[in-house]
Amino acid sequence: MLVTGIKSKPIYAPLQADTRGRFHLMVGMGVGAAPLLRVVVEMKSVAPQSLQRTRVLFVPDDGDRAGLGAAASQLDQFRAAAVGAVRAFDAAPALLEQFRAVLSESLMGTRLYVAGPESFIGLVMKIALEFNLNKDEIRAEECGTLARRIYCIHCRATTENVRTNIVQCIGCARWLLVRDHYSRRLAAYMGVMADAEAPGELPPLKEVFL
Amino acid sequence: MSDAQTIAVEVAGIEQVTPLIKHFKLRPIAGGTLPVFSGGSHIIVVMQGAGRVHKNPYSLLGSPFELETYEIGVRRMEESRGGSHFMHDAVKIGSRLEIAHPVNLFGLDKIARKHVLIAGGIGITPFLAQLEDLHGGGVPYEMHYSVRSSEHAAFLQRLRRREGARLHMYYDSEGQLIPFEPLLANQPLGTHVYVCGPAGMINHVIATARSSGWADSHIHWEQFSAPPVGDAFEVFLARSNLSVHVPPDQSLLESIEAAGVEVPYLCRGGVCGFCHTRVLELDGELLHNDHFLSDADKAKGKSIMPCVSRAHCKRLVLDL
Repeated sequence: MLVTGIKSKPIYAPLQADTRGRFHLMVGMGVGAAPLLRVVVEMKSVAPQSLQRTRVLFVPDDGDRAGLGAAASQLDQFRAAAVGAVRAFDAAPALLEQFRAVLSESLMGTRLYVAGPESFIGLVMKIALEFNLNKDEIRAEECGTLARRIYCIHCRATTENVRTNIVQCIGCARWLLVRDHYSRRLAAYMGVMADAEAPGELPPLKEVFL
Repeated sequence: MSDAQTIAVEVAGIEQVTPLIKHFKLRPIAGGTLPVFSGGSHIIVVMQGAGRVHKNPYSLLGSPFELETYEIGVRRMEESRGGSHFMHDAVKIGSRLEIAHPVNLFGLDKIARKHVLIAGGIGITPFLAQLEDLHGGGVPYEMHYSVRSSEHAAFLQRLRRREGARLHMYYDSEGQLIPFEPLLANQPLGTHVYVCGPAGMINHVIATARSSGWADSHIHWEQFSAPPVGDAFEVFLARSNLSVHVPPDQSLLESIEAAGVEVPYLCRGGVCGFCHTRVLELDGELLHNDHFLSDADKAKGKSIMPCVSRAHCKRLVLDL
């Protein structure tokens, strides 16, 4: 069963300002503040007028309590950088709801910058796709936990925060092998029953997505 | 594409729709229906002219849902190399022509949230078929159509009847211009713009969309360049071991074909890239007229699109 070397696994790259855009929308979580601030600094030097047309939607808490204070102080840095609008949210669902509302009134010429853990990026991308934003208009930088959202191909339940090579599905309790096969539509990696051929024979449990 | 794959058709209807544009209906001689196509497709029409063969691309403007006939619109070009004059002057009802299978280089984006269509003059033709696809599809769209004056507004009745308020007309004679800047600056996310018309209009739409921050993947355009007339030159086809003379009013591709060497092509208008040919030797300069090669590739001088491009040289050797 092919686990790695799968083309659908998203590839991320360090964020850079795209000043060909007329409007800039930054969406981040936790340690994602740092790459977004880097773009803000870059804009300030190459196209300072872009900052007024930049909006930031941000969740300081990415579940890692140790980093929470740092993220909150970075939020103040956005505000200090004269960015058009900055909004903080307690958790991802509230941010995503606002993100959808912002996209529905955004115009062509908008660039989207996303930074945070991969599972957060996936949820943002899923909504961006509904608005037909494509790879020329979206940049994403992965930072923070590599924990995955796993979609059970058997019962269709989604298990969050998976850090191990195999995981027991929250929906059907099957042991799932975590693949690199990624669905942008579901914003999740595929999990396939690990002991279907030989019931009870499982590979050793290992933490791999830290 | 080779001529073995063409379809024999006869002209079933001709209508002069403007002082410069004739509308032709083509019916398969073998009977039955013609191949399925999608809005934005074109065909190559092969015309047996006096002493030479013309092969010109024309957009299909009929409904993709009606395949008993194909419809094309042909504008009489002032500086015609013969093709458009042949269609206007020599082709009558019942005339027989060969056509190549439809190819779509100007398709609609299937997941767009909105379509903005912009046509200038004869550039309306690919949109007529696209509108058939869009009509009743649930995705918002608007058609902006610019013409010299009302007598030049080809297919206006058909458009008015189908499109109503989605059709925006602009008449040069009334000083009406398409408001490109506000039009492109105020579109919702997920909009795609499509433009077909004179080169100046296409370039202006591309430049305006880019300066409004549009990514190129949302900008679509089609313009079939007619091969320009130029100085005669000689070309040597290395693999065929053949010297070919290219006269002023014949394209490089046509000259090569006349010498019996087949080159793959789809559009014959500098768009599709199929006739891309390697240049092995050159002692002058290439005169690139295509929209396919990048500026960097054009500057390198290692390849040429023989459908529309020429050379100013004493010796040109091609990998054919």
